[in-house]
Amino acid sequence: MPIIDMKKVFLLGHYQEREQIFNLLHNLGIVEMVDVKSSETWDEFQSYLEPGQLPENVSQIDARRSDIRYCLDIFQRHYPIRKSIVEQFTGSSLDLTADQFASYLDSLDQVEEIHKSCCEAEEKLVSIRNEVIQSQNLIEDLQPWSALEIPLELIEDGSYTVMGLYTVNAEQYPALQDTLAANISDYFVEEVFPDQDVVHFFFSGLSEDKPVIDDLFKEKTVTRVSFPDLTATPAESIKSLHEKLKILNDQKRAILSEIEALLEHRPMLMACYDYMDNEHAKHQATSNLGCTKSSFLLEGWVPVPVLGDLETAIANRTETAAIVSRDPNPDEDVPVLLHNSGPVEPYEVVTKLFSTPKRNELDPTPFMAPFFFLFFGICLSDAGYGLILTLLAVLISRKLKLEGMGKQLVTLLIYSGVSAFVFGLILGGYFGDLINLPPLWFDPLEEPMVMLIGSLGLGVIHIYFGMALQAYRNIKAGKVLSALYDQGFWFIFLNGLILLLVGFPFAGQWMAIIGAVGLILTQGRAQRSFVLKFLSGLLSLYNITQYLSDVLSYSRLFALGLASIVIGMVINAVGDLVAGSVIGYLILVIILLGGHFFNVIISSLSAYVHTSRLQYLEFFNKFFEGGGRSFQPFRAKNSYTDIVENEEG
Amino acid sequence: MEGIEIALLGAALAVGFAGSGSAIGIGIVGQSAAGLISEDPDKFGQTLLLQALPGTQGIYGLLTGFLIMQNVGVIGDETVTLTTSQGYAFLMASLPIAIAGLSSGIYQGRVLSSTINLIAKRPEEMGKGIVYAVMVETYAVFALLATVLILFGIDL
Repeated sequence: MPIIDMKKVFLLGHYQEREQIFNLLHNLGIVEMVDVKSSETWDEFQSYLEPGQLPENVSQIDARRSDIRYCLDIFQRHYPIRKSIVEQFTGSSLDLTADQFASYLDSLDQVEEIHKSCCEAEEKLVSIRNEVIQSQNLIEDLQPWSALEIPLELIEDGSYTVMGLYTVNAEQYPALQDTLAANISDYFVEEVFPDQDVVHFFFSGLSEDKPVIDDLFKEKTVTRVSFPDLTATPAESIKSLHEKLKILNDQKRAILSEIEALLEHRPMLMACYDYMDNEHAKHQATSNLGCTKSSFLLEGWVPVPVLGDLETAIANRTETAAIVSRDPNPDEDVPVLLHNSGPVEPYEVVTKLFSTPKRNELDPTPFMAPFFFLFFGICLSDAGYGLILTLLAVLISRKLKLEGMGKQLVTLLIYSGVSAFVFGLILGGYFGDLINLPPLWFDPLEEPMVMLIGSLGLGVIHIYFGMALQAYRNIKAGKVLSALYDQGFWFIFLNGLILLLVGFPFAGQWMAIIGAVGLILTQGRAQRSFVLKFLSGLLSLYNITQYLSDVLSYSRLFALGLASIVIGMVINAVGDLVAGSVIGYLILVIILLGGHFFNVIISSLSAYVHTSRLQYLEFFNKFFEGGGRSFQPFRAKNSYTDIVENEEG
Repeated sequence: MEGIEIALLGAALAVGFAGSGSAIGIGIVGQSAAGLISEDPDKFGQTLLLQALPGTQGIYGLLTGFLIMQNVGVIGDETVTLTTSQGYAFLMASLPIAIAGLSSGIYQGRVLSSTINLIAKRPEEMGKGIVYAVMVETYAVFALLATVLILFGIDL
């Protein structure tokens, strides 16, 4: 059975053993906890049970966890651990043996100190950064005035004169000069820095004219600029600010090296974070329980095959905990765990990327897998590319310890490469036309129609298979007539049309008519009135367009297969153009290596996505609904570290 | 124009228009991707993969251009003399991928740009975003199919 059966379990235990039992469940990782309060059990027991209270130290653990996270984030910000391209897809973690992990946990009490140093360092860095920004802004503001040779503190209003630094829009400047000359008798203006848009100028005049001056300036929107804290000339100030920046920079470097010195604790912090995170999860899970003063009730889902393991594990640990299990009720929200064995297993990733099946639905994975294998091969259809793809995937799976969907994806690519290799032999593709071997069957470039019709034929088989699965579902659900009406008549009708098309007019005609009549008579059966029954039956024939477009969609197999071969040929032809001299051959090698590698990647990507699409849209929509919830057991989850077997071994 | 020139116009249109579609599409995705990277540099690999997707139109265009050039003897050893009507046949063959390559490249880029937003919030749903983009790409593949079928059907 590809979808594993689940049982609902109830575990009743002593409250003081809660932690032990939680640790056990956490290590086993086979129980998905259910919140007792939201299940029907609660209605029954509500009068006896209290909702589980979070233990008091949970907030303390949470605080500690975020302290560690804070330190790790600071490390990551200043001394990031870079991920390689592959790791960006798969994630990376620190490998630790169980012993190392345990020894790191011994230094848990150092965390507080490290956190304190990190906070201090970060605080200083922030204040330095603010000062740097301030100084840089000030330098920018001073820059236009650098030609001014008066110390800035001398520019202020005295008893008889006023003076200051001003800016004004360049368009207004000539008009300003004119009005000044017209209205005031004694004043001095010097342009310090004529920008294109703004004129910076020094102005001084008599105190007694101040009201007039202020009005004039206001009218021309002149802005006064002042540097209250500076005492030297602008040029000198800029110089000293630069020196200050240099000092700040040195300070920053010193603090960074303090942080760098803390980096040795990074692995320890990573281990501690994962430990705390898991502890936190364990404590948080208490809220799912129903409790009395001295006992607790835990409710959860367990896959049937491992139920025995759970029972023995609990029995070995304690004598006072009781486990009861029952089959799920029909209306319960049961989580779904897929289990396919052997070569089909990696194809689960394709299904999961679409949707997890519902629990009483067929798992489409085993039915889809052979077609995926086939279609991918046709889309890439090059022996050389298939070989490279398989080798690359093997290399990745060797180098990285992948789990779950990542591992499934890589295994799927290994198989897909094999498929492409086989189709390369059949259709005669070896790095495009680099190696000229005759195809085992036919050359798609010579006989494109054979390949096109072959692709569409595969599509018809694929679609029929999907319909057959839906018919099987109907029959299993006891709806034999639905299977006949909804799939059987379509099957007859479509086959009739195909026979007509390929030249069996008699048989084809009658089959098509029988099918069509059947459809007209049955497809409106949900309607009430006779006329509506007939009309919706007739209208259902319009769905033929859907089947037609589904089948035509498989022409992409041909197009993509051809594309990967012809792109290979283009690369070879471009290489051929430069070949001849020694340097030419060198470039040839580079073009061939780079070009074919590029094509492997891009064509494999196309093959993967288009093959997936054919499954999702053309195949799944015939029989598969999805929308199930996947099984998420209560278990250890590590963000930074990975516990491995002894590395020395 | 002689036959050969008309045929080469076809090759140029296929490479140029389909390539433009890809360039615009990739450009749109790249802008969104760069924005995401400013927040989360570790998504570079994923975004690069998404950015590569609208590149196929350009490749199909190049492929068409190459097939035309090879058929009319611009590349390769055999020289062919084309009648004017044969030249037009090659031009017609190039049109499906030239037109659909341009438009599908751009719109695929838009879909993927949204996919970048999608993986910013829910990286595990990248597969679904790719499926949406492939819905657009389908029409580039069909256009390539029509182009190739016409090309193979031209009698020389």
